[in-house]
Parts: sequence; C-alpha cells; structure tokens
Amino acid sequence: MELLATTATNVLVLSSLYILVALGFAFLFNMLGVLNLAHGAIYMVGGYVGFALAIAFGMNVWLALLLTTVIMGAFGAVLERLCFRPFAGDFNRTVMICVAVTVALQTAVNIIAGTRTLALPSFAEGGLHIGIAYVSYERIVTFGIGAVLLLATMLFVNRTKWGQQMQAISQNVETAVLQGINVRAISGIASAIGCALAAIAGCLVGAYLNLGPFMGDLMLVKVLMLVILAGAGSTSGLFITGFALGIIDGIVPVLANGAISDGAAVIIVVVLLLLKPQGFFGHEA
Amino acid sequence: MKPDNRQRQIKQADKGSDHMENDRRASKAPASEAKARGRGYGKGLVLGVLVAIAALIPLFRDSAYILHVLILVFIYTVASVSLRTITVSGQFPLAHGAFMGIGAYLTGMTTKWLGWPPWFTIPSAALVTAAIGMLVGFPFSRLRALYYAMGSLFFGIGVLRIAYAFGRYTGGYSGLVGVPPLFAGSKVPYYYLFLAMVVFSTAALYRFEFSRIGTNLKAIAQSHLVASSVGINEGFHRILAVGVGCFFAGLAGAGYAHYNCVVSPGSFDFMATMWLMMYVLVGGMDSFFGPIIGTFVLILIPESLRDLKIYAPFVSAAILGIVVYLMPKGLAGLFRALMLWRRGDDRGEASRAA
Repeated sequence: MELLATTATNVLVLSSLYILVALGFAFLFNMLGVLNLAHGAIYMVGGYVGFALAIAFGMNVWLALLLTTVIMGAFGAVLERLCFRPFAGDFNRTVMICVAVTVALQTAVNIIAGTRTLALPSFAEGGLHIGIAYVSYERIVTFGIGAVLLLATMLFVNRTKWGQQMQAISQNVETAVLQGINVRAISGIASAIGCALAAIAGCLVGAYLNLGPFMGDLMLVKVLMLVILAGAGSTSGLFITGFALGIIDGIVPVLANGAISDGAAVIIVVVLLLLKPQGFFGHEA
Repeated sequence: MKPDNRQRQIKQADKGSDHMENDRRASKAPASEAKARGRGYGKGLVLGVLVAIAALIPLFRDSAYILHVLILVFIYTVASVSLRTITVSGQFPLAHGAFMGIGAYLTGMTTKWLGWPPWFTIPSAALVTAAIGMLVGFPFSRLRALYYAMGSLFFGIGVLRIAYAFGRYTGGYSGLVGVPPLFAGSKVPYYYLFLAMVVFSTAALYRFEFSRIGTNLKAIAQSHLVASSVGINEGFHRILAVGVGCFFAGLAGAGYAHYNCVVSPGSFDFMATMWLMMYVLVGGMDSFFGPIIGTFVLILIPESLRDLKIYAPFVSAAILGIVVYLMPKGLAGLFRALMLWRRGDDRGEASRAA
C-alpha cells in the first residue's frame, strides 16, 4: 500500500514535471522549428537561480520561485533575440549555438556552485496520512504547482490573443505574417514563457530531489523523447506522451534494478519511433 | 584461356571508358577539369607536407604531453571525418560517440575477458561496429531529417544504458579497467600508429566520398525523391554510408580503448557525440577537410590554454560562438572564401580577356 501510494504520486509528479519542461521546448520547436538543445541547461540554471535567491539572499521560497520565473523569462527573451532569431531556419548553426550556451551555463554553474549536491528548502513540510499510506506535502505541492501551471499555459495558448497567434504561427508562418501577426514579438514571448516554465520545473526538482550542474542533460533527453514521440506541431499529444513516460519512469524502477529502468524508456521510445516515424500526434515536419 | 582473358580486358576497358565519359559529362569544360586536377595535386602536396611535419614531431619534441594531445586529435579526427561521411548522405546522426563506444567495448571485452590479441580485435571490432551500424541503419533509414537525428540520439543513449545494465562484463559506471596496452612504456609507437590510422582513414574516406557512390550520396542529400527517380537506391546508399562511417568510428574507438587502457562510458555519452558533431560543424560540413580543421582547432586551442583550468570550457564555447556568428560555412568555408578573394583579381582579368 505504502509502495503503491509512493509509486502513484511519483508517476504524477514526474509526468507533470516532464510536461512542464517539454511544453516550453515545444513552443519554440513548433513555431520556429528551433531545436533548443539549451533547454536542459536553462532548466538547470533555473533551479540554481532559485537556490541562490532562497539560500544566499535568504528569501521566502515562494518569492524566490516567483523571482526566478521573472529572471529566467527575461533570459529566454534575450536568448531568442541573440541566439535563435539570427539563425532562423539554419539547423546546424542553431545546434552549435545551443551547445555553446549549454557549455557556458554548465561551466558557469560548476565554477560558482561546484559539483556538490544542493537542494532548495522545501516548499511544504510534513505529510498527509491517507489510510495507511503516507504522502508528503512536498509531492502534493510539486504536483499542484505543475498542474496549475499546465492548466494556465493551456488556457493561455487556447484562449488569449497571443496564444492563438502562437498557434497560427506553428500552423503556417507565412499565412500568419499575412494576417498581421508580429512573428518576432510572439516568438520572443514564447521563448520567455518556455524558459520560465523550465526554470519553475528546475526549482521544483531542486526542492523535491536535488540540484547538480549536469541534471539538465538527463531532462533534455526526456524532453526530446516527449516532443519527438508526440510529433511536431502537437501540444496536446505532449500530455499523453508525458504521462506515458512518467508511468514508465515511475513504475519500472520499482520492478527492476536502476540500470535496466534507465534503459527501458529509451528502448521503448526508439521502437515506437521506428513504428511511427512522424510521431503519434503531429504532422510531417 | 587467352581469348577469355582478352575479353575480360576489353570489358574492363569498356567499363573504364564508360566511366570516363560519365565523368566528362559531369564536368562542364575540359579546362575546368584540368584546373580542378591541378588544385587536387596542390592539396595533396600540402597534406603530404603536413603529414611529414607530423611524422617528424616526436624526433624534435619528445614530450609525452604533446604526443598525448596529438594522439587524441588523431583519434577524434578519424571519428569526425567518418561522421561527416554519413552527413554527406543528408543524414544527421547523433549516435557516433556511441558507435565509438561499441568499438571500444568490443575490443576491450574480447581482449580482457577472452585474451584475444589486440591486433586481431581492433580491426574486427571495427568490422562488427560497421555491421551493427548497418543493421541499425536498416530500420532507421525509414526516418528522415530531424526524426533520424533524434532516433539515432536515443539509440546512442540506449547503447550506453545497455553497457550500464551489463556492468558485470562492461565495468558499469566506473568503466572497463585493465584493457591491455598495445605498446609498453613510450607513447612514440602509439603516435606513429595513430598517424598511420589517420592517413589511411582519411584517404579511404576521401576516395569513398569522391567515388560514384559518394556522388550518389550527395544526390540523395539534395533530394531523395529526384535521386530515387533516376534509379539511385536510396535505402542501400544511406545504409552503406552509415556502415562506412561506423567502421571508422569503431576503429577510432577501438584504438582509443587500447591507448587509454580504460573504457569509461563517459567518453561516449550524449555530450561526446555532440562534441564530435561540433568538430564537424566548426570545421565546416561542406568541405572534406572541415572536420579535420575543426578537430584540431577545438582540441588544440582549449588544450593550449589549459592554465585556465576550470575556465577552459568557456574557450570551447567561445570558439563555437565566434564560428556561429562570423563564419556561416565554418572554418573551411572561411578558408575557401579567402582563397576566392585572393584569386578574385586574376579571375576578373581572365574573364575580361575572354
């Protein structure tokens, strides 16, 4: 029972975190075709910025989370202007600049914070007893923040003017321009929101698990799996693939040892990709 | 016997003339062909001089550190040039580090656990790597562009995970320790061995790229639909390119295993693959010599500034940034642009005279 409750909450928390990071990645990927390989590093830096604000400046954790969101959102807008916009449509150079950004951020964090394991202060102490099962508030809060943000993002994408302009751009850039949509401004906004979401996820993971300079690499691979499996142009598909990956990553470690469970998701994704080369919910890239 | 032989000769001659005719049809004018040939000899001369200089280095500077760095450059040159061979066919593979790893683990495990001689296992590991690459390339040739890149990336990660999962044989996270070395003591024999490997591999890959198959690969890269419509077997050529690329990746990885004597999974992970791709992109993907230049620049410059210690990765990032912003075609593209600019004057005169 204990194990069941832990596994179930693990699945929910992992899925919400994966989807949170992947959603920001998918914005840029769907709209501009930018494969932002620096997204993992941004997620990592978000966690460290939150840590610096909460510990070094002694802020309230919630205030630190809010400020991190703002800072990383601004960083995302600058990143789009300096690193993605000049190389629009040039896949090779985008990959290069993303690797450069990743290396620079990882090295900077490594120098400032070192490789020792750090953790943000907990967002909520204690836990909840449901029957004989025990669920910590930390997990509930992490999942809650994730779920609220996902809902808010989906409302933003579907209900607001900017969100609908984003959808128009991801469907067809030329037509969107002809309708008078300011593609540059909207891509800047999309990049800012994407980076802010990744940074929030970084903070949540920093409190839920811990921080490390190279934690972004692992998350980047997960995000790539989600986005590629869902297919280009699909946002709702992300929720299904994200939940599926959460289930795999939450349940397989309970059944098998660590090394095998790490490999399980990768192998499943490769097989699925070979069965359905264009992803499951998207259109041809 | 005799007539049979002669017939075969005639057949061969026929084939040869056919080939030449095709070549002639491909090039627009005989003059430009001659010019191209002349430039080819010039390139060969420059390369010959460079190899000769490289061969003389251990005689003058017998420093183990310099030799170590150059050996690394040689190993990664083989890997990056073979990576470019796959990209010529329009594929963007992100599993090359993993294929190096397959070669390294194969030779490491067979020599350590089975006691096979390394001189036999290195080439056979390369061959088996090529076979694995082709087997994997078969289903992967269904994927295109970005999906191919991502699929191969996941494959590469999966290979490492399998290596972790069989930790009893592969050493797991700490790596396979105790791979027998090829030579005891000095690095000089290693240096010459890897120099020979670079010369052999680049020559072979050069021949491959500028052969008929290489031309077909370039056609597929430009438009796979047009290429298949003129009778080029797309799947076969793509798989062949992967096989050839993986052979040399396996060779480089196997050589590295016996040089380093430790096969650690960290040397073949996602970032290692990305760095191999960076060598190719910094040098310039459009030129055969691009990856060679890129490997030298991206390994030698950070190494020569190693007094910076932990700040050294910033140097690599800065090189990437400079190339991205200022040289859209990479360092080889810059070199080519300079050559054109220098040649600009007499070309203008020639056109005026004509």
